[in-house]
Amino acid sequence: MSAGKILVVDDDPQIRRVMKATLVGHGYEVTEARTGEEALEGLSGEMPNLVLLDMNMPGIGGLETCRAICAGSDIPVIILSVRNTEKDKVAALDAGADDYVTKPFGIEELLARIRAAMRRSPSSPEGGPRAFASGDLEIDFETRHVRAQGRDVRLTPKEFDLLRYLVMHAGKPVPHRELLQAVWGPDYGDEPEYLRVFVNQVRKKIEANPSKPKYIVTEPWVGYRFVADL
Amino acid sequence: MRVWRFAAALLLVAAVLAVYRWVLAVNAVTAALTLLLAILAISTLWGLAEATVASIAAVLGFNYFFLEPIGTLTIQDPQNIVAFVAFLITAVTTSQLSAYARRRTAEAEAGRLEMERLHALVQTMMLRGSARNTASEFVQDVMQAFGCSAAAFYYRPGGEVFRSGPETGSVGRAATDAVSDDALRAAAEALDVSVDRERGIALAPVRLGVRSLGSMALISAPPSEQTLRAIGNLAAIAIERARAFDEASRSESARQSEALKTALLDSLAHDIKTPLTSIKAAVTSLLEAAQPSQRELLTIIDEEADRLNRLAAEVVAMARIEAGKLHLEKRPVAAAEIVSNALSALPADARPVTVNVAPELPLVDADPEFAAQVVKQLVENALKYSPGGSPVVVSAERRDARIVIGVADRGPGIEENERARIFDKFFRGRLHRFDTKGTGMGLAIAKGIVEAHGGRIWVESEPGQGSVFYFALAAIGGREN
Repeated sequence: MSAGKILVVDDDPQIRRVMKATLVGHGYEVTEARTGEEALEGLSGEMPNLVLLDMNMPGIGGLETCRAICAGSDIPVIILSVRNTEKDKVAALDAGADDYVTKPFGIEELLARIRAAMRRSPSSPEGGPRAFASGDLEIDFETRHVRAQGRDVRLTPKEFDLLRYLVMHAGKPVPHRELLQAVWGPDYGDEPEYLRVFVNQVRKKIEANPSKPKYIVTEPWVGYRFVADL
Repeated sequence: MRVWRFAAALLLVAAVLAVYRWVLAVNAVTAALTLLLAILAISTLWGLAEATVASIAAVLGFNYFFLEPIGTLTIQDPQNIVAFVAFLITAVTTSQLSAYARRRTAEAEAGRLEMERLHALVQTMMLRGSARNTASEFVQDVMQAFGCSAAAFYYRPGGEVFRSGPETGSVGRAATDAVSDDALRAAAEALDVSVDRERGIALAPVRLGVRSLGSMALISAPPSEQTLRAIGNLAAIAIERARAFDEASRSESARQSEALKTALLDSLAHDIKTPLTSIKAAVTSLLEAAQPSQRELLTIIDEEADRLNRLAAEVVAMARIEAGKLHLEKRPVAAAEIVSNALSALPADARPVTVNVAPELPLVDADPEFAAQVVKQLVENALKYSPGGSPVVVSAERRDARIVIGVADRGPGIEENERARIFDKFFRGRLHRFDTKGTGMGLAIAKGIVEAHGGRIWVESEPGQGSVFYFALAAIGGREN
């Protein structure tokens, strides 16, 4: 049985070859696309479980492709890029990517990140509450349904996992590393910029005034804390 | 021409007198009023001199033909004397008033004409493009607008003198030669215009405020001094405007070439890293299941791919620094954050480093990523060049308006003659020339980054005791969190 279907989008044929050989060797099914346009066309047919997306491609480019994929589906996207500045990472995460891997990378690292991105935490962890309500915020952990300010809110899987972890630890400051490892996996911990981007996205969706958040507050130098509305 | 006008004026007066004396036989009052009308007409049409001559003729004729005793230039009746004097005064005053009005009209007309010419001159000058072109075409433009036979312009920023060319004919050529280059240069320093009406040469400085842009000379039929000043000012404004325009398009093209450089550097980085990505992914994949006999060789490929990658990154970073294309995104940042970011980027198996950051330090104004890269480079060097187990200490403290971050090691130290050159590109210390991996660009890049921040980097060292690398960045107001 296949470990999952991965769409590799890269304009460089050698990289596609290596990816295919390696990922198939690890039990994944692999489809390929040479450009963002080709990737989006292919998506309408068979849905992959994950997309490995090159950032720098001719045509519409990685960021645009990422936005288009994330707008139409919940498929996790990992951006691959030769650029390693924080600005580039933040741009990729802002576009909806789950993760960002700098080229060149070791295959173990990539495999770990693929596993982390495909891992979906169970809809309701053992012993946890099934639902949560506080002020104008309602969360149904089972159906992954969120309502805020009286409106239905659509969170991406990572955004939902992040919100859930904070809610589960409401009132306590959650350190960056703990939050990263809870949401992305044990290989993470040194990517505070991931949290900045995802926390901002969640704030935009659930807070009345995202620049003055009342639910998710920043604990300087430590992490984030969820404040239940009293 | 003028003579004919005088003759005509006299003829008109004579005609009025003759008709009234012999044909119509009117009284003195009618004759006097008609003569006044005639004088008014003359002064309106031709001017004061003609009207004055006509007035004198009219007064004499009136007295001779219409005042008793008729046929003499004497006056008998005292009443007639009053009438005669009244006539005389009226004739002279009318002709003066009328001439005054006429002069004003002529002046207004001349003013309008000069305005029109100035306007035409401005319009043509504005189309000349570059500042030099505006200056060189000015001579033709001003000749056309003001009908001078020749003109010259001294363009001070370029140190050039432009003269109306051979198309103006030998007369024009000779005329411009009447004004020497030296005279033009002197005029550029002059405070005001100077007009030599005899030789028909007008010189005017061309300046904007206190800045001299040169001078101009108009030859034959120079316009009024006021107009000359206006032309000088307009030329200055037109040239200054063209200069500003030149400047703007130059900086635009410089910006474009900078953008091109950045794009080239980015694509160079991309083109080197793309094949490295395939190599690295392939070799790490092979390493996972490799036999021990192959593992050593595959590890070498993996390590060398990493080394090539670092090399490529350093070459691009160096090129960017040398092109002045380092893109800093400065923000207030704590020294502690810079240090901890740098240390977290070290390999997990690196030797532990002691951190010694003074409390309550002000924030620094820096790009956190680049600043951390400098610390990382210095710490890597310290770890690389000092014996295993010896301490490496990273410190941060305030010195006046600066925050100084230091990295100290207990390595072999750096000889005095090498200390100055250690930040040079490709420089390798004598002791380490052959035994340590590296590109010789790390410290040069660190220096480039620090200097791009307006900071300073230096080393203090005691051979045999160790070295301390310092760099200083500007501190800003607030206190560290």
